[in-house]
Amino acid sequence: MSVNYDQILEALWETIYMTGAAFGFSLLIGFPLGIFLVVTRKGHLLENESVSSALNMIINIFRSIPFIILMVAIIPLTRLIVGTSIGTAAAIVPLVFYAGPYIARLIENSLLEVDKGVIEAAQAMGASPAQIIFRFLIPEALSSLVLALTIAVVGLIGASAMAGAIGGGGLGDLAITYGYQRFDTFIMFITVAILVVLVQGVQSFGNILSRRVRRS
Amino acid sequence: MIQFEGVAKTYHSGNQEIHALNGIDLAVETGEIYGVIGFSGAGKSSLIRTVNLLERPSKGRVLIHGKDISTLSSKEIRTIRKDIGMIFQHFNLLNSKTVFHNVAMPLLLAKTPKEDVKKQVKDLLDFVGLADQAQKYPDQLSGGQKQRIGIARALATNPSVLLCDEATSALDPQTTKSILDLLKKINKEYNITILLITHEMGVIREICNKVAVLEAGKVIEQGSVFEVFSNPQQATTKRFVRSVMNDELPESLLAQIYDTHSDQAIYRLQFTGNSVGTPIMSQVSRDFNVNLNVLFGNITELQGVPYGNLIVEFSGELNKVERAITSIRDNNIHIEEVTHYVS
Repeated sequence: MSVNYDQILEALWETIYMTGAAFGFSLLIGFPLGIFLVVTRKGHLLENESVSSALNMIINIFRSIPFIILMVAIIPLTRLIVGTSIGTAAAIVPLVFYAGPYIARLIENSLLEVDKGVIEAAQAMGASPAQIIFRFLIPEALSSLVLALTIAVVGLIGASAMAGAIGGGGLGDLAITYGYQRFDTFIMFITVAILVVLVQGVQSFGNILSRRVRRS
Repeated sequence: MIQFEGVAKTYHSGNQEIHALNGIDLAVETGEIYGVIGFSGAGKSSLIRTVNLLERPSKGRVLIHGKDISTLSSKEIRTIRKDIGMIFQHFNLLNSKTVFHNVAMPLLLAKTPKEDVKKQVKDLLDFVGLADQAQKYPDQLSGGQKQRIGIARALATNPSVLLCDEATSALDPQTTKSILDLLKKINKEYNITILLITHEMGVIREICNKVAVLEAGKVIEQGSVFEVFSNPQQATTKRFVRSVMNDELPESLLAQIYDTHSDQAIYRLQFTGNSVGTPIMSQVSRDFNVNLNVLFGNITELQGVPYGNLIVEFSGELNKVERAITSIRDNNIHIEEVTHYVS
């Protein structure tokens, strides 16, 4: 028995849903973390060594766990949050733990690219730390931030496919259960093709958006 | 006015201590254009940053209008920073924002009403001569234009003090001149006290009233620009002065003197102010029957006062030469023998 058209569509939708929801939550966690990583650095706006090293340690711990292991390792937590450890919603939890710290690092990198002189100018004109972050740092880094977040989305699409391994649904699930376990080469080909198109689309969109926001 | 009282700044890098400033005492009077000059690493940039507390002094005090700023809370510091504009060597504009938005930024931070922002930015851009560039982005502008934007931005909060951090060092000579003219105009029209740091003596000569020479975190010489230029004391000061007013004899000329003359007396004459206008040279030549040969000379303007420097060879009977020299000295012209040429 082969897969029908609806199943592919549903898998695609699940992938988009998982990636989108995970990206949203990850951004909610990663964005502030990334900002704190930058501003608590030595010589920065709100220099604070203990906060800085604590944040770095936590993020490094999560970043060093391979996603496939992370997924399994936090199953009790997943159960606690969504009530089950199987299914699309359950896959979002590990995805957030995976992508949140990753986004924090990406945001940190982008914000660090902002010329120190601009921050100095902001301070010299009497801007508060919050004003410096929101009116200087983020706008100046916006274009680079968009590209960084594009990388995060692409990473999430990949990770969400892996979530299929624990029954998370989506294109990864389809590829594993039909393409791999049932030797259906056609399905394997279809899922890979869809993923390629998806990633291409996201990357192109990111590139265009990044150019758009370079000047605001 | 800005007063530095025993200001010191020490940086720690590893277990090394770097003394950027070693007890600076300076007073910048209201309405002055005060220049601090020094080679790189002398501590200029640390010094200027203590004024708006971008750098906190390790020791000593900085007083602005008599108020010790190191005792202020961070909120008060932000308030006083609005009274101290600053411009930078690399302009430090927001590349993601238009010229208009860049200049408006300090006003937006202060939550100025939109209509007022529009009007004030327009006035500021008019003042710096870039009214037609409001919708451009910084990377579409030349260095000089970017610095004008920087200046307009610094003036937006109506400061009483303007700090210039190597403001012309990234600009070509012609653009430097136009920016310096603009700074002069700001100083005159708004009576804004300007403190600038530079490594270019030309900048000091062009616009400053007073100058301090900084070396290894210390002020080694200070005074009015005229005093320091016409009579530099320290070796570093002399080097700076020489960089814009070459009063050294060219090597080739020196060699020629050694070869062809044996009993000459060579003197340096410094004319200042009114004495520039007197025909003293031809007068003593006639009166005492001595021959004067001008080997080298230049005249520049310092603070609107002409200042001349001549190196002259005197030949004739010894006693007549001596009388000629006395006569020159009596005319209030600084004259000294340049002994090292005649060895």
